[in-house]
Amino acid sequence: MLYPVLFGILLIVLWQTKILHAILHTDTFTLPLLGRINGVIADNFSTIMANTGVTVQVALLGLLIGSIAGYLIAVLVVIFPTLGKGALAVTSVFTAIPIVALAPVMNNWTKDTSNVVSVRSAVSKIIVVALVCMANMSINAYRGLTEVKPFSEDLMKALAASRWKMFIKLRIPNSVPYIFTALKVGVPSSIITTIVSEYFAEYLMGIGRQIKENILMAQYAAAWAYIVTACVVGISLYAVLMIIHAIVMKKRAPRS
Amino acid sequence: MTGLMKKRTNTAQVSKYAEAEFSDDNEIEIEVKDLGVTFHDNSGNEVQALTGINLEIKKGEFISLVGPSGCGKTTLLRTIADLQEPTDGSIHVAGRLPREERMMQKFGIVFQQPVLFDWRTVQKNVELPLELMYYSKKDRRDRAKEMLEMVGLSDFADSYPSQLSGGMQQRVNIARAFAIRPEILLMDEPFSALDEFTKEKLHEDLLRMWRQTNKTVLFVTHNIQEAVFLSDRICVLSPHPGRLSAIVDVDLPRPRSTEMKFTPEFNALVEKVRNSFEGGSI
Amino acid sequence: MKKIVQKKWFSILFWVVVLAVIWEIAASFVAATKRGPENILPHLYQIIGAAFSTQKVNQTMTASQLVLSSTATTVFRAALGFAIGVVTGFILAFLMKLSGAVEKIAFPYLMLIQMIPILGMAPIILSITGSINVSRIMIAAILTFYPVATNTLEGFKSVEKEKYELMASYAAKKRSLYTKVLIPQCMPYFFTGMKISAPMAITAAILVDTLQGDGGLGCVLSQSLRHAMSIYVFWLIVFFSAFLGIISWKLMGWLEILCTPQKRPSLRKKRPGSSEETLKRKEIKVCTREKSRFGKRFHRAEVSGQ
Repeated sequence: MLYPVLFGILLIVLWQTKILHAILHTDTFTLPLLGRINGVIADNFSTIMANTGVTVQVALLGLLIGSIAGYLIAVLVVIFPTLGKGALAVTSVFTAIPIVALAPVMNNWTKDTSNVVSVRSAVSKIIVVALVCMANMSINAYRGLTEVKPFSEDLMKALAASRWKMFIKLRIPNSVPYIFTALKVGVPSSIITTIVSEYFAEYLMGIGRQIKENILMAQYAAAWAYIVTACVVGISLYAVLMIIHAIVMKKRAPRS
Repeated sequence: MTGLMKKRTNTAQVSKYAEAEFSDDNEIEIEVKDLGVTFHDNSGNEVQALTGINLEIKKGEFISLVGPSGCGKTTLLRTIADLQEPTDGSIHVAGRLPREERMMQKFGIVFQQPVLFDWRTVQKNVELPLELMYYSKKDRRDRAKEMLEMVGLSDFADSYPSQLSGGMQQRVNIARAFAIRPEILLMDEPFSALDEFTKEKLHEDLLRMWRQTNKTVLFVTHNIQEAVFLSDRICVLSPHPGRLSAIVDVDLPRPRSTEMKFTPEFNALVEKVRNSFEGGSI
Repeated sequence: MKKIVQKKWFSILFWVVVLAVIWEIAASFVAATKRGPENILPHLYQIIGAAFSTQKVNQTMTASQLVLSSTATTVFRAALGFAIGVVTGFILAFLMKLSGAVEKIAFPYLMLIQMIPILGMAPIILSITGSINVSRIMIAAILTFYPVATNTLEGFKSVEKEKYELMASYAAKKRSLYTKVLIPQCMPYFFTGMKISAPMAITAAILVDTLQGDGGLGCVLSQSLRHAMSIYVFWLIVFFSAFLGIISWKLMGWLEILCTPQKRPSLRKKRPGSSEETLKRKEIKVCTREKSRFGKRFHRAEVSGQ
């Protein structure tokens, strides 16, 4: 625990003493000192919070919808394995599609969903995030639903359990740790995806959009303030996930 | 683990000196004196795995360690192989410390699970220890071929471990242990995960190979029949704390065959071993 | 017939056809109801037609020529960044395995990097480095580095205790332990990391392209979105970048098969009709079950970055 803290302090010292700037050949204008960034955050706290709200909403909704869709796909693949295997492969391909290509397409497709810019922009971003999270969840959930404990499948069969019972009592509980594996990847990637799709969105609110706008206006300190906010949001959402994970896993028999 | 690796001495130098040794049939190969091993479990409590073990194993002898789980039989084997530090007492192997003996590459170990390397063919798996001992390419290949012949897997030399059945994998494992011509073969429940038919076949294979090579074998098992069938002597261990409760001599004639398992002598020995557990039975 | 239906490629093909049919139905609907349907959802044949059209979209090049030439620019930079990321990621994982202190220092930060929106920082990295090329390579490298490092470390950690003990019983040198056991065993994990990061490197390179106009797929993409040239160029790029992402991922898979002999199916000699074969299958099943019963982790957790 001590070493990482020391390393962090070293990094801050390098930053504050401008040695970092010398290494990166930059100045305090593009890479402002920490005090300056803090100042900007304090001065514009309400604006930053409003933008953060927009981003977090999109990220979480997209994550939720994508994860549920992904899980359902996995369930369908288990039920219909013949055609399912291909569906899983096609879904996994979505992770390989660059967000940059996906975001403008979704903007086009969602034009008619609402007359309000903020709503239709959010819908478009949520779909992009959902697509990215869906692939990740479906692969992990499929493994969770199929990689059951040795012989437990046979045991259920011997007890004449129906397919339905098998799902409820065996497959679904078994998939819980895998859901968390997927979410651990999904939470950070949903935030990133949201930020990047905001670059292409119509609506001017959101952390990603603010980073871009502030840089275009050469307000680097403000841009950094949003980057720091994005990091804080990412870390806190991840922390929340870990806490939920710990609570859920505690209820299950301890695995060691 | 890193500790083990760090404590390495100059291997090449020591082994040269070892080759000058001569062997004698009644020579004591492994000598265990007042051995005690204590572990610390996760909550920091001391657990006595072994206490007051005294044992002498002659060269070329086939010895089994039998006992219920938790009696420390595997710990004893690991301590002799220098994979575990003794807390009390001492072990000498051919008059040297287990560590020196390990550095001279005198041990062949077979674990319960076949520890094979997925990315190597069966042949290359057998060659691995020989590579570490700087054998030439030709010698390695010849030796590996010979060993695979011995375990009846010549046809599978170019297969990968994942293509083999559990029994075949364990045979590769045994071939690899024999490949370095170890002075001492340490086997930790090598057949316990196999079915009865494969096991019987491997018992005969093992005895044949042992006869051909005349190694000292230390064989850990919880199967009394297996121990009686294979061994010259059986060390019976009892748990809590792990201790040696009896040594049973097996005076069945050799070579042994599967039919022997149905003789009254055989069953009497099984009974004798079973009764020597402290507390009567397992 | 039934055999074909059972094949994996058949079900993939089935779903691709389903998606294409849905696309076409939607495109017909859009064409009937909207003005400027090519901006929303053109027919697939129109996009393919644009790819083979000889009409020039700017002064010098046709649509395909433009897309291909900007692809070359983008892919080259992405590949360079990817290579740097792979090498540093592997080296870091190696150092972390080698020294507990390095692991203690680096591991929390490795986790933190995942939380930092590197892609979101693209504009600021551009303004720090001042060069679009450097920042593109840098971002691709950072994005690649994380999955490679974590997966490789996981690979090193997957080596079972018995393998260390076996090597110890042979009095193997530390060097041999690494070259003969640790590195070969972590290879599949290393490739998993590369499979995750290769499409990300492409995404990063395209995204950075959009920030400044000096060629590259992203740059042309934003130009055609602003109607500076035919909108079909945009559609071509959307499909082509998706294709690039997938191909880069597949490429890593092929590379893996090339580098890990046990995964090469051609080497697996089949013994038709041998009873050993059927017996073997059963026993393998039992064997793997046995292994998982001992609580070892046989699945590779896919650790991904952004």
